[in-house]
Amino acid sequence: MFGLKQSPWVIHYDASSCNGCDIETLACLTPGFDVERLGVLNTGDPKHADIFLVTGAANEQSHAVIRNIYDQMPEPKVVVAIGACACTGGIFRECYNISGGVDTVIPVDVFVPGCAARPEAIIDGVVQALAALMDRRKAMKALGKNVDQVLYSRAESADAARILSLQKTAHQQEGTIYGEEHVPGLVQTLPALEVELTQRVFIKATVNGRLVGVARGYAQDRTGFISDVIVHPYFHRCGVGRRLLEELEKALPDMNRFEASIGDKCVESAAWLQRQGYELYKTDSWRPAIARVYFQKERK
Amino acid sequence: MSINSWISLVVYLLAAPLVGGLLVGWDRRISARMQSRQGPPIFQPFYDVFKLCKKENIVVRRSQNYYVALFLVFVIFTGGLFFAGSDLLLVIFALTLAAIFLVLGAYKASSPFSFIGAERELIQMMAYEPMVLLTAIGMYMVTKSFQVGDIAGYHGVPLVFLLPGIFLGFLYTLEIKFRKSPFDLSSSHHAHQELVRGLTTEFSGRTLAMIEIAHWYELVFLLGWVYLFFASMPILGVAVSLLVFVLVIFVDNVFARLKWQAAIRSAWAVAAVLGFGNILILSLLR
Repeated sequence: MFGLKQSPWVIHYDASSCNGCDIETLACLTPGFDVERLGVLNTGDPKHADIFLVTGAANEQSHAVIRNIYDQMPEPKVVVAIGACACTGGIFRECYNISGGVDTVIPVDVFVPGCAARPEAIIDGVVQALAALMDRRKAMKALGKNVDQVLYSRAESADAARILSLQKTAHQQEGTIYGEEHVPGLVQTLPALEVELTQRVFIKATVNGRLVGVARGYAQDRTGFISDVIVHPYFHRCGVGRRLLEELEKALPDMNRFEASIGDKCVESAAWLQRQGYELYKTDSWRPAIARVYFQKERK
Repeated sequence: MSINSWISLVVYLLAAPLVGGLLVGWDRRISARMQSRQGPPIFQPFYDVFKLCKKENIVVRRSQNYYVALFLVFVIFTGGLFFAGSDLLLVIFALTLAAIFLVLGAYKASSPFSFIGAERELIQMMAYEPMVLLTAIGMYMVTKSFQVGDIAGYHGVPLVFLLPGIFLGFLYTLEIKFRKSPFDLSSSHHAHQELVRGLTTEFSGRTLAMIEIAHWYELVFLLGWVYLFFASMPILGVAVSLLVFVLVIFVDNVFARLKWQAAIRSAWAVAAVLGFGNILILSLLR
């Protein structure tokens, strides 16, 4: 695990509270404590960070921000809740807008108590977080070999924003083939997706609470239409898509046959569908200059 | 190409990442000491890069990673040309191409932060390009050759005595090229600034590690160029190159960031007065 332990980059967010822990956290960077001698770098960019330091209780306003920062951090990552408020809600616990500690929003690995937490305690928390970081890294490596740890469940309306960001990532190859404006998954807006979530069946695949794949479909005249199966590029070739498709077919009972359609130039997707037992049965032009191919499968 | 240039090319390709990484480690250490802190171990940049290679690579568009890979390849190519003793003008154009690939990668990510970072990087390139070209021209006027090999083998007084203005102007462009204060407009090593991390905001994991390694290669190549000014006195040359590096760190810690208008105006003023003035005097003396 050379490197991971010596170079924890932290991102710091104050969810609410009195700013006491916030100031103590920044005090760790000053000459008196100088956490940089342990390789700790304070970065403002979630995509560069390994450890997420949160101070203060989670309130209605900060829920979305905490979740957003957490989602943008690359795996392996750990969360440290600093101070009484971040651990449990503290004296703000009973307030009408406070949901409690940070663990009510995202999974927390290390809790640092104190009001305000002392810089020594915060540094100790970061060092303990390193152990959690190593465990996370091991779990991540194991995950590549074992897809059983992926959780499959129905998506809810709360997942809309994360599904949207996943589909914008997953449809990029189609975007480069056809131009981004011609790929429905890339031009869809959040309100449109929220409406779609109420009308169609969505199955999601999650790893460590993070969305890695989505399949969606709907039923019409005893035919199950598979509108979309997307998997994050990082989890390709792990069997996530196959399981998503199976779960979606299960979620559409009483159907005689299933149908899926894709652009004619998406060769890899076509090959994948054929591996799942789907057969090509017709081709037509969907938009000028864009042909669509249709696949079907009878239920056995 | 002679045997010697092959050897120096291979040495550059193998040793530059080690030397560059150690120099960056010293940079962080010296900076910390200037701020009366202990500072990280000098191997810290290597730890960082090893760690980044183990992280997940999150992208906005997957193609942004190809541009960064090309950035690394062309930075190595630039330094390779330089240390193989090739044409200095070709080196400058290859360096520009490399920088353009990084800018394209940042544009490709289409986030407002990396977008403004990319635009500022282009402005910085506009700021330093004229002085870099004048440096090559000045070296040609003294040695009558654009070949790095010939300039390095020039047996006269060190170039710096004939090109003092150009040397100072080149130091000015180094500040811009290293993205150090007062010219850390497009991307900064320090947290909590208005652009998050500017140019590198949207890169993570292995791609970010590639950018770091490219900076190590670039660092060694640029310090090699400083050495050219003292090529006929090798020991002095190496000492001055290292001193220049310490000077850059010192300036980084002393100055606040300039606005881009000030950056481009001052850089062009330096190029016009020190660079062009030096060349004018040189041509009048002959």
